[in-house]
Amino acid sequence: MEPLKIPATGRTPEVDFDFAAGTLRLSGESYPDDVATFFGPVFAALRAFLAEPSDAPVRFDMELLYFNSSSAKALMNIFQMLETAAREGRPIAVTWCYEENDESMQELGEDFAEDLHHVSFTLKQVPADGAP
Amino acid sequence: MLAEQYAAIKRDLDDKGIIFSFSGYLSEGILYSLGEALREKMTLEETDGPTVRRVFSVFVEQMQNIIRYSAEKVMGSSAKPVELSAGMVIIGMEGDKVFIVCGNTVLNTDVPRLKERLDYLKGLDKDAIKTYYREQLRESPDEGSRGANIGLIEIARRASEPIDYDFHRMDEEKSFFCLKVRI
Repeated sequence: MEPLKIPATGRTPEVDFDFAAGTLRLSGESYPDDVATFFGPVFAALRAFLAEPSDAPVRFDMELLYFNSSSAKALMNIFQMLETAAREGRPIAVTWCYEENDESMQELGEDFAEDLHHVSFTLKQVPADGAP
Repeated sequence: MLAEQYAAIKRDLDDKGIIFSFSGYLSEGILYSLGEALREKMTLEETDGPTVRRVFSVFVEQMQNIIRYSAEKVMGSSAKPVELSAGMVIIGMEGDKVFIVCGNTVLNTDVPRLKERLDYLKGLDKDAIKTYYREQLRESPDEGSRGANIGLIEIARRASEPIDYDFHRMDEEKSFFCLKVRI
């Protein structure tokens, strides 16, 4: 499947989905003026990828610094797709990165992790790069 | 006369600890520009990243509430649909705490439901807010609510004190709604 690559903008994250390699990554900030317009193609590509029968492991790196509440709903949607695929046997590992001392992002990671039983979920603290 | 008049407004803002204020029509574009200015200002003052993001998060949710729910709107569609919503946003310092106040008109018929939500949130402690957030994350949005109910919960979660709100009845149809959050 063709990769999905969307460069970051001031208010939307970078999307780097390399489906052939099984490595997916969201990074940056997310507070789009229209969540549905931004996340629509992301959902569609991910859904199509997970629908293909395969046992190949999937790695999802969440490297978001900030997201608004409407984006949180979109992330929940992504996690539900991953959880469904993992329940059906696909090995899926999610790494949730948060900057040191950023308790809000750490807690948000825990919020999502609560619903994941088949996806392997890791919280990973990364050093702050100084840019807020 | 002119300078005196506006100096008085400026002095009044300064006396209240207000560092930033905007009143008028808000849009997503204005949210973005004001948000950038706010972050630059805080970063220059060497505020740490997580604090900047907490303030920014409350700012974004408050602004988007105005843009979506203000009862005073101008809609139009040129090349790109525009949505301008009247309201105000004020950011200031009280002691060592940042506060954000947002104000906009709402329909009187929407007041009871909004009040009920805010009172419920005000009554929750930190852990209960967290649990409530997790519950709402799984819910589909309410009818008539664009985006999510969790905007208000996100605000309450980032606040360091219980949120403060008030309504002022303007006429038969509308009230002025104010929400003050300390971070």
